[in-house]
Amino acid sequence: MARPKLIKERVPTPERPVEERIKSFVEVNLGYDFASAVKEAERCIQCPPEYAPCIKGCPVHINIPGFLKALRENADNPDEAVKNALRVIWNDNTLPAVTGRVCPQEEQCEAPCVMGKVGDPINIGKLERFVADYAREKGIDEELLGEFIAETDGKGKVAVVGAGPAGLTCALELAKLGYKVTIFEALHEAGGVLMYGIPEFRLPKEVLKTELDKLEKLGVEVKTNYIVGKTVTVEELLQEYDAVFIGTGAGTPKLLNIPGILLDRIYSANEFLTRVNLMKAYLFPEYDTPIAVGKKVIVIGAGNTAMDAARSALRLGAEVTIAYRRGREDMTARIEEIAHAEEEGVKFEFFLTPVEFLGENGKVKAVKFMKMRPLEERDSRGKRKIEPTGEYVTLEADTVIIAIGLEPNRILVEASGFEANPDGTLVVDENLMTSIPGVFAGGDAVRGEATVILAMGDGKKAAKAIDEYIKSRKANA
Amino acid sequence: MNPCTEVFIVPYKILEKKEIAMRNIWYKIHAPHVAKKVKPGQFVIVRAFKNGERIPLTPVMWDPEQGWVVLITFIRGKTTARMAAELKEGDELLNVAGPLGNPAEMKKFGKILAIGAYTGIVEVYPIAKAWQELGNEVTTLHVTFEPMVVLKDELEEAVGRHVLETVPIDPNLDFPTNMKNVTKRLVEKVREMLEQEKYDLVFMVGPTGDQKAVFEVVKEFGVPMKADLHPIMVDGTGMCGACRVTVGGEVKFACIDGPEFDAYKVAWDELIARSGYYTDMEQRAMQEYMKALEGGE
Repeated sequence: MARPKLIKERVPTPERPVEERIKSFVEVNLGYDFASAVKEAERCIQCPPEYAPCIKGCPVHINIPGFLKALRENADNPDEAVKNALRVIWNDNTLPAVTGRVCPQEEQCEAPCVMGKVGDPINIGKLERFVADYAREKGIDEELLGEFIAETDGKGKVAVVGAGPAGLTCALELAKLGYKVTIFEALHEAGGVLMYGIPEFRLPKEVLKTELDKLEKLGVEVKTNYIVGKTVTVEELLQEYDAVFIGTGAGTPKLLNIPGILLDRIYSANEFLTRVNLMKAYLFPEYDTPIAVGKKVIVIGAGNTAMDAARSALRLGAEVTIAYRRGREDMTARIEEIAHAEEEGVKFEFFLTPVEFLGENGKVKAVKFMKMRPLEERDSRGKRKIEPTGEYVTLEADTVIIAIGLEPNRILVEASGFEANPDGTLVVDENLMTSIPGVFAGGDAVRGEATVILAMGDGKKAAKAIDEYIKSRKANA
Repeated sequence: MNPCTEVFIVPYKILEKKEIAMRNIWYKIHAPHVAKKVKPGQFVIVRAFKNGERIPLTPVMWDPEQGWVVLITFIRGKTTARMAAELKEGDELLNVAGPLGNPAEMKKFGKILAIGAYTGIVEVYPIAKAWQELGNEVTTLHVTFEPMVVLKDELEEAVGRHVLETVPIDPNLDFPTNMKNVTKRLVEKVREMLEQEKYDLVFMVGPTGDQKAVFEVVKEFGVPMKADLHPIMVDGTGMCGACRVTVGGEVKFACIDGPEFDAYKVAWDELIARSGYYTDMEQRAMQEYMKALEGGE
C-alpha cells in the first residue's frame, strides 16, 4: 500500500472581515462547510486510538481519529457522516459546539498532533465545531439524543451546584448513566462563564442555548436563582440527594489594591462582561441594563478575559489599549484571540504595572504605570521574571477594565465548612471528593482560574467517581 | 405529590399588588425558597422582564409556611416604573434570587434609634421588629414626603415607639430641591432626638447623602451607628464588585460583606460619587420608556 500523501497545510476557515465585525457582536469565525470539513478531516493520518496523541491531549479524551474517520467515511452522505461523528464525540463530550469554539486547542489536542511535526496540526477544534453546528442546523442532534437517554429508575439522585462547564458536564454525564440530576444555579441563566463571560462574537448565545437544551431532554432539572449557601445549604442538599457536585467556579474578581480603585468607570472584567453578555447592555436602552464606556479604554491584563473585555469595549465604540506587566510572548490568552484583537485595532502596551488610578470629579481620567523590564530568570510557570525600573508613564483613559484574574467565591465555603486552601479553592482527594463525604468538586472551584475544558474534564471525572460512590453505598446498604 | 415540588409550580407569582402610597408599590410574591430562609437585613435580586435589568429589593415581610414575601418598591426609574405600570396580580416575576447578603446583627444593644428616609423605612421594618422582639427598646423614625407615608400602623405595632416626620411637597420646586427639605428635617429631628435621649445604637436606611448627613450628627454624640449601604449591584453574589465600598480602609463588596456596615468606617464621599455612576443613562431609559408609554396609548 502506498504511503498516504501528507497534506501539510490546513484547510482555512472563513472569518468575517474586520470592518464588518467590529460594529457588532456577531461571531467572527464562520466555520467549515461540509466539503472543506471532509477535506481537513482527510489530512488526519489516523493514529490508532490507543496511541493517538491528540486523544491524550484532550482533557475529556474524545476519540478524535474516530470522529474524523466517521466524517470522511460518508463523504457522499453528509447527514449520515455527521450523525456518526457526533455519536463518537458525545460519548465523551456533550458540549462540542462550545468546546470546538473556546478550547485552547493549540495547547491541548492540536499541540501533540503528529501532523503538526511536518506542517499544520489537524484543525480539530473547528472540525468538532462543524459537526456540532451542522447537526444542530439539520436537527440531527435531536435524533441522536434518544440514544443517550437512560432509564433513571432507582439509580439515585445527584445535586449539582453551579451550571458552568464543570457542573453541566457532570450533570450530563450522570444523566447519561441514569441518575436523576438537579442543577442549582445562582444566576437567572445556566451556562456560568459561557453565558456571562465569553462574548457572543466567540460563542453565540443561541448556540449555547441549544447545547443547554440537552439538559432538559436528558432529564436534568435546572433551578436558577438558587444560591447554595444562602437559599439552600449543602447539608440540606445531602439530606435530599445521594451525592453533591460543587462546580461553583472562580467568579470573584481580583481588584488592584492601589489608590483610586473606587473611582467611577473602573470595572472588573466580570462586571463589564456580565453587563455586556448576560444582560445585553450593548443593546441599551432596548435592554434595561446600562453600561458606561467612554472613548478611551484601558484593559489591564492579557488573558482571555482581557481580550474578551477589550474586543467588547471596541465594539461599543471605544479606542482600546491593553496594558500588560510582562511581554508579548508571556500573554496567556489564546493565540487566535490575540490575533483577532490586533486585527480589530486593539493596541498593546507591554511591561507596564499600574500603580495608581488618577481621577477628576470622581471619574477615572488616567492610569499611572511603573515601567517594568524583563529578566533572564524564569518563574515556576516558565515566564520571564520582571523587575521595576523606577520610571513611570501615565496613560489617559476614561474607562478602565481590570482583568487580572479571579478567585473562588466565598459564600459556599464559608456557609458549609469545607476544608479549603488559603486561596479559597476546595481541597479534594484523588476522586475529587471534598472534606465532606458525598460532596465532590471540580473545575475552577478546585483549580482556581483555569480553562473551560479542564473544568469539563473534572466534571466528567467526578461523574464517574459519584457513580462509583453511590453504587458502593447502595451495595453496602 | 411531594409538597416540595408543589410550591415550585408557579414561581414568583404576584399574589397581591397595590399602591400603598404615592410612588410606593406593594408586591406580595410567591417565593418559597426565599421565604423559608430570609432573615432581617437580607435582600433579593429581582428581574421582572425579559430584557430587564437585575435590581436589589428587600423582603419586608414573609411567611415561611405559605411561601410568600412582600417587596415594596419606590418608583424611581424605568424598572420600578415599568413594574408598576405593566405587572398585574397573577403575573409572574421572571427571577427572584436570594436571600442574599448578611443578616443584620441580632443581639441586645439596648436603646436603638432606627431611621428610615423615604421608602428606606421598608428595609428598617423587619430589622427593627426583630430587634424589638429580642428585647431591645426600639424607636423608629420615618422621615418622608407627606403623601409617601408607609407601614405606619405596622411599625406602631412592632416597635416601642414610632416617630413620623413628614415634609410637604412644594409643587413650585423641583424634586431634588424638595428632597433637600427632607434632608434638613431629618438632620434636625435626629439631633433633637439624640439631645433628648441617650441611645446605644443608631441604624439608618436611606439615600447615601442623607445617611452621611445623619452620620455627621450621630458622630457628634458619639453613638455607635450602622447603615445599610445601597451601592449599584448586578449579580448580588460577589462575582463582579460593582457594589464595592471602602470600609475601614479596605475594599468590601456590599452584597457579600454587607449590606450593613459600621457607619464610622464607611468612606461616605466615595460612595456618594459612585452612586451617580449611571444617572444619565438611567434618565435616558426612563425618558424613552415614558415616550413609549405615551406613544402606545
